[in-house]
Amino acid sequence: MVVDSYDILLYLAFASITYMTPVLLASLGEIIVERSGVVNIGVEGLLLASAFAATLVAIVTGNPLLGFASGALVGLLAGLIHGVLAVYLRADQIIAGLAFNMVAYGLTVMGLVSIWKHHGASPRVGVSLEEIEVAGYYVNPVSLASIALAILAWYTLTKTRVGLALRACGEDPRAAEAMGVDVSRYRVAATSIGGLLAGIGGAFLALEVVGQFTRGISAGRGFIALANVAFSGWNPLLAVPGAYIFGFLEALSIYMQQWALGYEYVARTLPYIGTLLVVTVFAWKAIVPRSLAKPYVKE
Amino acid sequence: MKGITKVYPDGVIALRDVDFEVYEGEIHALLGENGAGKTTLMRILYGEIRPTGGEVWVWGERVEFRSPRDALAKGISMVYQNFTLIPNFTVLDNIYLAVSSTMRVSREEVVGRLQMLMGELNFKIPLEATVEELPVGLQQKVEILKALVMGARILILDEPTSVLSPLESRALFELLRSLKAKGVTIILITHKLREVKSVADRVTVLRRGRVVGVFNVGEVSERDLARLMVGSDVVVENRGVEGVRGGVALSVEDLRVRDDRGLLRVKGVTFNVRYGEIVGIAGVQGSGQKELIEAIVGLRPVERGRVLIDGLDVTGYGVGERRRMGLAYIPDSRGEGLALTMSLTENSVIGLLERFLGRLNSVRWGLAEGYAGGVVRDFNVVHRSLWDPVLYLSGGNQQRLMVGREISANPRIIVVHEPTQGLDIASSNLVRSKLLELKRRGSAVLLASSDVDEVLGLSDRILVMFDGRIVGEGAPGDFDEEKLGLLMGGFVEAR
Amino acid sequence: MRLGSLENLRSQLLEVTLALVVGFVGGAIALTAFGHNALENIQVMISYGFRDLGYLLLKSAPIVLAALAFLVPLKAGLFNIGGEGQLYAGAITALLLSKVGFYLAIPAGALAGLLVGVAIGLLRVVRGVNEVVSSIMFNLTLYYLSMFAIQRYLLDPVYTHQSIRVDRVLSLPEVVAVMLLFPLAVYLLLYNTELGYRIRVAGSSSRVARYAGVNLNIVTIQSMAMGGFLAGLGGAIQVYGVTSVVDTTLSSLYGLGFLGIGVALIARGNPLAVIPAAILVSGLLIGSHWMELRGRVAPELADVVIGVVILALSAPYAYRVLTSRMGWGVGGG
Repeated sequence: MVVDSYDILLYLAFASITYMTPVLLASLGEIIVERSGVVNIGVEGLLLASAFAATLVAIVTGNPLLGFASGALVGLLAGLIHGVLAVYLRADQIIAGLAFNMVAYGLTVMGLVSIWKHHGASPRVGVSLEEIEVAGYYVNPVSLASIALAILAWYTLTKTRVGLALRACGEDPRAAEAMGVDVSRYRVAATSIGGLLAGIGGAFLALEVVGQFTRGISAGRGFIALANVAFSGWNPLLAVPGAYIFGFLEALSIYMQQWALGYEYVARTLPYIGTLLVVTVFAWKAIVPRSLAKPYVKE
Repeated sequence: MKGITKVYPDGVIALRDVDFEVYEGEIHALLGENGAGKTTLMRILYGEIRPTGGEVWVWGERVEFRSPRDALAKGISMVYQNFTLIPNFTVLDNIYLAVSSTMRVSREEVVGRLQMLMGELNFKIPLEATVEELPVGLQQKVEILKALVMGARILILDEPTSVLSPLESRALFELLRSLKAKGVTIILITHKLREVKSVADRVTVLRRGRVVGVFNVGEVSERDLARLMVGSDVVVENRGVEGVRGGVALSVEDLRVRDDRGLLRVKGVTFNVRYGEIVGIAGVQGSGQKELIEAIVGLRPVERGRVLIDGLDVTGYGVGERRRMGLAYIPDSRGEGLALTMSLTENSVIGLLERFLGRLNSVRWGLAEGYAGGVVRDFNVVHRSLWDPVLYLSGGNQQRLMVGREISANPRIIVVHEPTQGLDIASSNLVRSKLLELKRRGSAVLLASSDVDEVLGLSDRILVMFDGRIVGEGAPGDFDEEKLGLLMGGFVEAR
Repeated sequence: MRLGSLENLRSQLLEVTLALVVGFVGGAIALTAFGHNALENIQVMISYGFRDLGYLLLKSAPIVLAALAFLVPLKAGLFNIGGEGQLYAGAITALLLSKVGFYLAIPAGALAGLLVGVAIGLLRVVRGVNEVVSSIMFNLTLYYLSMFAIQRYLLDPVYTHQSIRVDRVLSLPEVVAVMLLFPLAVYLLLYNTELGYRIRVAGSSSRVARYAGVNLNIVTIQSMAMGGFLAGLGGAIQVYGVTSVVDTTLSSLYGLGFLGIGVALIARGNPLAVIPAAILVSGLLIGSHWMELRGRVAPELADVVIGVVILALSAPYAYRVLTSRMGWGVGGG
């Protein structure tokens, strides 16, 4: 029996790496965005839109890499739009994000119905990336890449000049501007890159985790990523364990659904209750970028 | 700068056909009272604002700056009143960030240049300290260093001494003289006549957006300058309004208060304020007055000591309860005292709402409107409708509204922090006379202001505060300028 | 009573109208992109949506309440995204107690919503948990728990794809009364009482609220409680007034909370304007279902249109730039 539980634990541990990837990528993207002083609540919608695009392209072309590319592209565009809205049109960032989620949900379901004539799910994609073998279990290369990206993001933010300037935009945009930093451009660049990363996350979600596009496939992951951003103290390195915790909760939830017959729905609440508990317990006063979500007006 | 005009979208004309000329290597003062347009003019020079009309010429070339980066490229640098430094970055990070925006340098190069400059100018600042840890005087030096490292040949300083003690100001002027010797051109924005006389070579006087005079400093007197600045002889403060001294209204005993970051800012302060008197606290910004006042009003918890109103220990009471006992408070920041998105009427009754409630806790807006009407009339608040959001008002009008609503309530005790900030001389005089009237009618007034003349002119008794302690006490007549300056700067006399 | 000057009203109406146009254009683009006839479908949506007045009003009522549920906390500076979950809680609780009677079931539903709202508020006050995140977690959790409750405890023995029926269906006048009463009550609360004033001060600026002696923590709990109450009531009314059952996939409840948010934004935060805004959105919703029947387009087009409208409304500065370029002076900086 001890061997059994050890096996299960190991299986869950590796599965968690896969499940954590979309959240990690979205979190990394949002950390960059929020460090520059913008909030993108629309991450949820971004995941939906990029998952849809990736599925569509992957089914049509049969090439998962192209699927990833299109997901990334959609994410980039959506991030860019949010950036323009937030920076140049001075929109209320929270409301714009929520509206975007609505639009993305609506568009993707419309697409689902119009293209594949189905209300719930697309056909299975059927192709996916080659996985890497580690100690008898399989890990997706994108998952490993996302961890590497976390390290890269941390390094860029803390050790390079670009990172310094970006953080300045989030701390005190007035001072940053006076020091010659083009705050607007940095912020739009940040939202675009954030969107790109989330886009890869969405593509991964559709192509590697689920294997198809389903209505509402993001299932709150965007918001969990937002929670993770705060939980990690806006530090890309800490976003990894945070995302992993979520990944583990999801893996556990799916596993439990298999033997908790009759209580499947309850098992499905596990990731959300878990996230809520984690955020509640670990509510240290993280160093919020001071100028978060406030539009910077030049004159 | 020739024929500079600046009109804002809401119709305010900030600058009218201004000609401004500075020679290389001189220290040129730009003199004018609050709101005269000095900062606006310099912000145009620095590329932050675009002029509505006129031309700017630098080193003989016509320029059109679109952003500070363009100005920096031409060697123009500006040090603002509220510093453009990022508080939780280190000194080096701040300077490196600024420098690397305009030229390609490595961190090491920046460190090298800084050390060289600090050596030449004879002061030292720890580069790895975070800006917010440093005292204000040093932060200002960081700003100046930043400008120099970026190769500034023209340095604009906006009211630099407003945050400095008299001693630090003197040190600053020494620094300016050394810079001048190195060939740096300096433009000094100020409203203090003494400064103009002590350090500037030439002066341009602005009044209401127009140039009213340009002189060599040696050829003009302080009185002349004062007259030009205001348009008439400056009314010398006459505070000889005698009030009847009553019982003790407000009392503070051995108060110790910490700030938001846990630092002890008030280190054992004891004093009282009687009915019918004005007690003034003189001190450089950052001496602990803010924390002291917040503790007195009930916005900040006290670590040790007591606050008493009418003899009653209110140390544990909240703001609302203290207000109900007759305490009013004018904070030093409009962002704290005014809800910008709410209307004038709604703002007029903040803190006083109990007086305007009817049955079932409903608000009697008609009554509130009446009160608001009185406030805007008595304090000259220019407005369109009493139901417009306060944010439509100009800064000066907002200030008058905030000050007016507290004073008009006829409070028994009023605590006032920087009441005339941002106000022109006429409004400032109005506010001061209203405070004197309050005193005459028997109210107790506690005043804290960084404007030493204001404190000296209004108070019956003065407390000098430095680094969280009262270092001097007495009547205004007991202090001459030098003694006051020394006390404010932290030089306690040997007793 | 003052709602702002007439000029202000005119400018807001213009803003909303413009946003609606943009929304429909967005919808048209989406339709065309997916290969449908835009004009035809939108025409169906608009014409059929507003035909049956009674049904229209019935359907609007829960949305009015959901909108108010977002609006009240918004005035306090909070984003109550938890309307969805609070609504589910209200609906399920009402169903659970429907055996006892509607006079108990409906208030119980409101109470359930209130408790969820208070939970979100407490998390924020005590642990600093951001209410957007906690709201969504509650939404998703309550979504699954609701489906679980129906499947296990509330299933109709004969029609196993839906829950049991309620004991008594509310009549149209009763529902309309609710729909008119609560916006009025909220308006009076916010603009004529001390509590409303304190809520608005808290929402204006936390610094000023402290200065004025307003306890932000208490206001947070109070406004979230009210928001939860309204959303829970909305859920109960949806079950008792509109559908009388809830299906096992929760499709009759899903999305109402978010629509409420949209309505509150279209109403520019004015409780009274929520009524026409909700009727408008309901019409679009009903119309979109007709459109599905006739054109085989997903009814989620309504989400797209409404979402684009909100996007357009989220950038008032853009509107100001646009109108000043066109020379329409709309006063006030």
